[in-house]
Amino acid sequence: MASNAIIYPDVLDPIESASREYLDRHQEASLAVMCEYAVANAPLIRKVWADAGVKPGDIKSVADFREKAPFLTKDDIRAYRDAHNDPTGGMSVDSPGQTVSVGTTSGTTGDPTPVPNWRRTPAEETYARDHWHIGVRPGDHVCHMLFTFRGGHRRRSLSELGIAEICFSISPFEIPRIVDASKRFRPTSMSIFPNPLINAFEQYFEKTGEDPVDVFKSYKGAIFGGEPLGDRQKALTRSWGLELFETTSLGDVAGACECREHNGFHAYEDIAFIEAVDPITAEPVADGDIGELVVTSLVDRLSPLVRYRTGDLVSIDRSPCGCGRTHARFKLLGRATDQILVKGRSILPREIMGLVEKHDETRANLFQIIRADREMDELKLRIGYDVTRLKDSEDALKLRLYERISVAIEVPLVLELVDEQELLKLGPPHKIPRVTKT
Amino acid sequence: MTTSHPDQIGCYTVHGKTQFYSVKRTELDRAGVQMARTLRSFAFKPGAYVLTVSVVQEVVQFAPFEFALQLLGLYGTNADLSPFDAGRVESLARQFDPVAICGVGNEVLEGLKMMGHDAAAVFKGRTVWARPDAYDAVRAMPGVAARRVVLIGPALALECAKGGLHIDGREWEVVVDNEELVLSSRQHRIDPVSGLKTGFSGRLTDMPCACGSPDPHISLDGAI
Repeated sequence: MASNAIIYPDVLDPIESASREYLDRHQEASLAVMCEYAVANAPLIRKVWADAGVKPGDIKSVADFREKAPFLTKDDIRAYRDAHNDPTGGMSVDSPGQTVSVGTTSGTTGDPTPVPNWRRTPAEETYARDHWHIGVRPGDHVCHMLFTFRGGHRRRSLSELGIAEICFSISPFEIPRIVDASKRFRPTSMSIFPNPLINAFEQYFEKTGEDPVDVFKSYKGAIFGGEPLGDRQKALTRSWGLELFETTSLGDVAGACECREHNGFHAYEDIAFIEAVDPITAEPVADGDIGELVVTSLVDRLSPLVRYRTGDLVSIDRSPCGCGRTHARFKLLGRATDQILVKGRSILPREIMGLVEKHDETRANLFQIIRADREMDELKLRIGYDVTRLKDSEDALKLRLYERISVAIEVPLVLELVDEQELLKLGPPHKIPRVTKT
Repeated sequence: MTTSHPDQIGCYTVHGKTQFYSVKRTELDRAGVQMARTLRSFAFKPGAYVLTVSVVQEVVQFAPFEFALQLLGLYGTNADLSPFDAGRVESLARQFDPVAICGVGNEVLEGLKMMGHDAAAVFKGRTVWARPDAYDAVRAMPGVAARRVVLIGPALALECAKGGLHIDGREWEVVVDNEELVLSSRQHRIDPVSGLKTGFSGRLTDMPCACGSPDPHISLDGAI
């Protein structure tokens, strides 16, 4: 007798494994369409292109686009918003019947930036593909942990696939409910799983004696985001039987997530066209070299960002991935604006993260680089510690941290220790500003 | 063929105990269509913004509200019900000038105060649906049209422009048992509710509401 079991395809959308040649042709066509649309419908894009003296008709190829299309920055969006009293920053939110809600960014560095949402946003599309890649299938449950400002309660991209979302806040207070749901519904994935929640789970397991391996035994993976994943968290969650898939924002255009190869973030090239440029000169940077990530949405008619400079320092790899998907990957080094030069040495928060987490009192990885200027004579760090885990004195901890960091970074160092609770108040809860002026 | 697999699992809290609660999207959408009747009483102009303050696990209660906004051509935007996200409430109020803010709780008032914002100034000139723990404070703010929003089990009671605290009568049967409101589902649901003691004391009002909605409206005495 034939089995009635449905065999689902390996990829949610066949475009994920399309040939490079097809992707290139698709991008060329989509770029022309999106440039035409954006200039016609998004007031800010129209202004930027008019200022540059470029017309959509000038863009007939990817080469034309790279040579002629003007760049756009977050500051351009904020300036347009302020000058025109337009909270959408000159995007095309007023497309009749298109916008179903207006989400916002985390607002870590200023007023949150509006992100108009269509019925299924590009980020929902990409994360649906990522959950599918992890192994989530119709009939499964996913623990969905998020903030409502990312799009409220209208999200339905997983439920459209027959996958149930169990909804939680990103809050340590939710841990007992997540444990309960994990044992009751046996979900196959969860997102977003950030550093503070991993720390809270660790404390919960220590306190209750609950077996993390049993709690997470049904999970095929968890999408980790908010900040870079440290070695300590990676090892800790691996000991729980949990495989983490790091994710990051693709410049406010979509999400980008690791695959099982864990060799960079996949940027879906049917969703966005990506480039890397020199952060100072804006000249193109070859694939494999470090440059600032520039993205152009190929699908979002409400936020048609064209040549949007993300401020993220990346290296791009367009070779086929071992996971079977053909789209580009990129490695993320950090934010260009977070970079500090101390006596000529470049330092990014990611580098400090791997050092701070190695001490038990500072395992939560809460620290800030104090960056009065881009170039400094010494590295100034404010590090939060858990007062309840202090082994000896604060001075002794400071000395231990000083020795570890100064040996690794090899620049003059000034440390300030504070109660980590003080840093957590700087939220949002999933991350704190890693670089501050004071 | 029907499936018993839910689309979303949210929760509700009664007598301090939080329960998972499963729904299908069709249940949330039909509740949104009903809720639009209460929202219409405000005559907000299409294209205006409405800010919802909630948390993700309140999807069962607030997804219908957001769908109702979409049906009426309003733009919904969101902030978390948390002192840490109160700055977003201030920022979105300043940037979007929403005609209404729904779901304000004491966490928002505390957070605004902590961040040095005057809640009365943030809310001035708007309709503000406040949760029970924040309602008295919001009502005392000059220039604010204070209204109530109450999570009654898996249902959302929303006050209309004429002062009726409405609950979806097509979806829920509400009776009073020993002064406590008791909720049962009336329609096909993936997670039916029968005789749920809600933890609220109150009574049903017999008189039709001046807003024109036929949905029952309730008079709440408080939490039990």
